Amino acid sequence: MSSREDILGRVRAGLQRNAGNAAVGREVMAAALSSRSQGPKPAMDTAPQALLERFRVKSEAQSSTVDIVVAEAEVPTAIARYLTAMKLPKAAVAQPALAALDWAGAGLAVELRGARDADLVGITGCFCAVAETGTLMMCSSPATPAAVSLLPETHIAVVHASRILPYMEDAWNLARAELGSLPRAVNFISGPSRTGDIEQTIVLGAHGPYRVHLVIVED
Amino acid sequence: MARVRVGLFVTCLVDLMRPRIGFAALKLLETAGCEVIVPESQTCCGQPAWNSGDAPGAVALAKKTIAEFEGFDYVVSPSGSCGDHIRTEYPTLLAAEPGWRDRATAMASRTYELTDFLVTVLKVDSVPGDHEGSITYHDSCSGLRSMGIKDQPRALLAKMKGVELREMNGCEECCGFGGTFSVKFGEVSAAIAERKCDNVLASGAKAVVGGDLGCLLNIEGKLRRMGDENTKVLHVAEILAGDA
Amino acid sequence: MEIKSMRFKANAAGSLANVVLQGNLKNAKGKFVTKRAEALKDLDDFEGTRDAAVAIRNKVIDNLDLWLERFEQKAQETGATVMWAKDGAEVCRLVTEIARKHGVTKVTKSKSMLSEEAGLNQALEAAGIQPVETDLGEYILQVDNNEPPSHIIAPAVHKSLDDVADLFHKVHGTPRKTEIPALTREAREVLRGHFLSAEMGLSGGNFLVAETGSVALVTNEGNGRMVTTMPKVHVVITGIEKVIPTLEDLSTLMRLLPRSATGQSISNYFSILTGVKKPEEHDGPEHLYFVLVDSGRADVVGGDFHAMLRCIRCGACMNHCPVYQTIGGHAYGWVYPGPMGSVLTPLYAGMENSIDLPHAATLCNQCGVVCPVGIPLPDLLRRLREKQTERGLRPLKERIGLRLWAWVAQRPKLYALGASLGARYLKWLAGDADRIRLLSTAPEWSLGRDFPAPQGKTFRELYAARQKINKEAA
Repeated sequence: MSSREDILGRVRAGLQRNAGNAAVGREVMAAALSSRSQGPKPAMDTAPQALLERFRVKSEAQSSTVDIVVAEAEVPTAIARYLTAMKLPKAAVAQPALAALDWAGAGLAVELRGARDADLVGITGCFCAVAETGTLMMCSSPATPAAVSLLPETHIAVVHASRILPYMEDAWNLARAELGSLPRAVNFISGPSRTGDIEQTIVLGAHGPYRVHLVIVED
Repeated sequence: MARVRVGLFVTCLVDLMRPRIGFAALKLLETAGCEVIVPESQTCCGQPAWNSGDAPGAVALAKKTIAEFEGFDYVVSPSGSCGDHIRTEYPTLLAAEPGWRDRATAMASRTYELTDFLVTVLKVDSVPGDHEGSITYHDSCSGLRSMGIKDQPRALLAKMKGVELREMNGCEECCGFGGTFSVKFGEVSAAIAERKCDNVLASGAKAVVGGDLGCLLNIEGKLRRMGDENTKVLHVAEILAGDA
Repeated sequence: MEIKSMRFKANAAGSLANVVLQGNLKNAKGKFVTKRAEALKDLDDFEGTRDAAVAIRNKVIDNLDLWLERFEQKAQETGATVMWAKDGAEVCRLVTEIARKHGVTKVTKSKSMLSEEAGLNQALEAAGIQPVETDLGEYILQVDNNEPPSHIIAPAVHKSLDDVADLFHKVHGTPRKTEIPALTREAREVLRGHFLSAEMGLSGGNFLVAETGSVALVTNEGNGRMVTTMPKVHVVITGIEKVIPTLEDLSTLMRLLPRSATGQSISNYFSILTGVKKPEEHDGPEHLYFVLVDSGRADVVGGDFHAMLRCIRCGACMNHCPVYQTIGGHAYGWVYPGPMGSVLTPLYAGMENSIDLPHAATLCNQCGVVCPVGIPLPDLLRRLREKQTERGLRPLKERIGLRLWAWVAQRPKLYALGASLGARYLKWLAGDADRIRLLSTAPEWSLGRDFPAPQGKTFRELYAARQKINKEAA
């Protein structure tokens, strides 16, 4: 007998599985998968301005920094300003999805590709953002490689205010509607990487970025 | 109106170690207008057997206790631990015997810890005793987490003008007694008790008060071993009855 | 992993005598408890969310076979390979075979308690494959002669800053650093090289999503993302009980897991991984394997301990346990410490190998109160005690003592006599003092405390006397 059959056989024995309760079980399963019922969620004001404000407050609480611009065209200048203020190099890797922005015009040397170990700054967009917890939802694709938000010490993300949703449940529905199925990697990111493994003292920059900077576009 | 008939479940620890707690409970219930009966044949509720894995022993003692106490309007005990065993565990441990299970369930709904009974059922306006001085209150685990005993003793203590309540840090944390745990893992048990006693001492209260004698013996024993000779260790019934 | 749970009592004594450990435990205790309490505040309805989480977990484990088949089918549709392992030995064999098949010489690992159960690192090393732990806590332990973890969330919680400073100085051959950020940076630099050179990444799985055939991983450091993004092969090893139905259910559970574990409203990284890299993608593994592990779980299904399968491994029960707070995790002697460990160790590693564990609890129910999936841990511990008695695993003296007590307690006259003799004996032992220094009948009690003296007569004696006087007066 294969291990699979052995294990499932013992699970079935424990559940006293028979044709009758299997049919009931399948109904329960089908209902769960089709209803996608949601649990209780913290109350929140879902007006657009309130969502943006909550997202900003929660993001800052996770040690991210936030800048707000009024048009997408201003993003490269805003990022250049941030890099200057932080005394960081004006060179970055960016996800190919951000190719339309005028990086050179802002004085930035941006390469559109996947990330390498030597990259110090990584610029990404995001699929959407979750106001409840101040979280970015990143969906991997050829135009949005996952490692750009992971390998560099500084991660800068462009967030469109119109895509700040109240809850993670809303993000799943948006993904189902726009992407059909889940991409290889969905990464929810809430601030810079951190560890508390030495004396429960929180240190930023464990294996991923030391800092996360969000540029929110009010559109 | 007929007086409320209360069966007083004294508990084996009070019987053996601190009869005055039993008498204090008696006084509190009688002062509040109850007719109190103390069934002579009562022994142990069976919790030690149940918690030690002796289910047959626990079942036998549960049946014995039900037979002795089910005739009263209420069953009251000066212990959240024993009270909880009767209220919560009896219906569970007799689940396989429908007749007994129903009797257990019926009695469970009429079983109360002493301070809970005084506040929730009798709604007393005053208590017989007074006590001058600062106290800190230890919330015993079963009473707190299973029976919801938290505000009741404090509400009663607040009726005594001379009492100053100084809450300690971690008043809801276990004192490390745990019944047979205290004699199986003495060192660990005593180390947990030390944290509790540190908190008692840090509160600066002149007395530590609680609703379960097991915890109180543990705390008193540890305080004395730590060299503290001054902090009084009292059951809440003793204070409320004016016996301390 | 070797089972040392039979030495619980000696282990505990060692922990109590270890001054450094005692300091570290005291430091950790307050942080875990305070942070969780703070994090629960912005969850409007903890009880309601917990009820929903219980329902989600029950839905799956009550029909586990069906959900496993469903998950397997969906995972295969995404291009993943699904394997099944009966025990730790089979986990080691399967993972080693996968590694050999893909010519792997180095494996980077994010934290997996199942890997500890199986002793996977030793098996990989024996096969000439280098395992590298990448969770900072696990890494610290690995380079310290493969010390076992003492906590499921914070594996090196028993170590102090000084311990780590000495260790890194020794194993990295670098100047001794005394700042936590500098030590963290040092580990980052060492591990970055491993992340980029390993051919295989190995992770556990916090949840398996049946709707999509995905694995969900929760980390703060980013090591979970590294090991599932950079190498060409990703192997997930998880227990068979980890399936949940939908992405919505994932959201509900994620409102509880980080809050219960580390006191965060959400962990830094929460990754849902589905299938393999497409040819035109820049990163991600080309091969994805799931190893679904039994190791005792299947036999728990449908039995007395079924509810334990709801566990989501947050560690809140141990963080709030007075016993764990006092002795730390190593004393429990196997992979899982604290209340959940005292239930899981007997079930997965053998009841006869862990006689003390179900008794190593005061049954204070602080664990049951904080458990985000409502597992009645004290009830399960008590039920294990009952099983031990049924199987005759408890010491004879204890069994006889308990029986005798119950027998006497059913005979009121005999009991009354015993109690009055007992009260007098204890009073005699105390003499003029208000306490007994050494209680010969229960010497363990006296190890760290006195025993208060009794009044000397029983309540029933005094009450009978009072009734007699009242009667005569009337």
